[in-house]
Amino acid sequence: MAAPGKASVVLKAVKKIAVHFCPFEANVRSTREFLVMVGSERARSTNLNCEVISMVKHDKSEPVVDVTYVDGERLLMKGANLTSKEMLSAFQARCTAKDPQAKAAAK
Amino acid sequence: MAATLCGKLLSPKGWLPRTQSIRHGSKAVTRHRKPMHFLKQKLLAVTQYIPPKPAAPPGAYPRETPVESPLMRLLTRDLEGVFRDCKMVAVAQNSGSTSHDMIMLKNRFHKHDIHVRLFPNQVMRSFLSKSIYSNMAPLFIGPTVLFVSKEPKVKEMLSTLRLSPQMSLLGACIDNTLLSAQGVASYAKLSSVAVVQGELVSGLSALASQTGTLLQRHPTHLTALLQQYAAQQAQAEKAT
Repeated sequence: MAAPGKASVVLKAVKKIAVHFCPFEANVRSTREFLVMVGSERARSTNLNCEVISMVKHDKSEPVVDVTYVDGERLLMKGANLTSKEMLSAFQARCTAKDPQAKAAAK
Repeated sequence: MAATLCGKLLSPKGWLPRTQSIRHGSKAVTRHRKPMHFLKQKLLAVTQYIPPKPAAPPGAYPRETPVESPLMRLLTRDLEGVFRDCKMVAVAQNSGSTSHDMIMLKNRFHKHDIHVRLFPNQVMRSFLSKSIYSNMAPLFIGPTVLFVSKEPKVKEMLSTLRLSPQMSLLGACIDNTLLSAQGVASYAKLSSVAVVQGELVSGLSALASQTGTLLQRHPTHLTALLQQYAAQQAQAEKAT
């Protein structure tokens, strides 16, 4: 059985990603890992207009990832009880759902 | 006669082969070990049953003490030196900066005598757990970078970090005091120690100087003021 290839993060349909977390809390590991994956050079090069913003707070609030898509839809992920893989798969599923629509509309 | 009758009955339905060969060469059950086909040998070898080993009783073997590698010791010593010499140790998360970005950042920091240090998280956590800075341990998850400087140059550091959006400042330890990101920002807004001391001294001496200037006024002015004050006091007592 062939091993699945590394799924790359494509931000074509994304307008803005805002990651809010409090680094002194214990439940931020997955959110920080998600930020690293989404903020990597390869991911950012897929869409240079997409802003990846990280807000570091100190108010014991829960870590939150707020994604705004180009068509106005918003995806809010509360990373306190999620793993980074789950967050990434949910994010990518929605991105790929929107991306072929854009491609088909362009064609 | 029976055979010819049978032949006439049977022939339209089926037929029997002319020759019937009987295998006489190789047999399945032999007295010697029959050579197995190589593929079958390989299959059996791969799918052989391996029974699970019974686990050793809990106290049977002594626990292996984690051996600290010389590199870890060297890095720990380096870290001790960093925390001893530098008044400002800031921690930032590096979410995807290229080598070019890092070079530019290091260049900008070098002008203000701030150094960029990288340590493995494992070494960092083991050092922090043994030192007084243990509350900084939760900051070190994922790719983190240390900005260290002998003098706390917070304003310059913040202005430089604004130019590189991939670096998110998580916290800092300035003068053995752990600060969050907002704490660092408010620390940057503080004026220098000399200015604050001057303001404090001027505030404390303001009262004394006020009294001094008042006493230097003409005595008639002072007596008039005193009489007015006494009258006001009497009025207040009458009202109560």
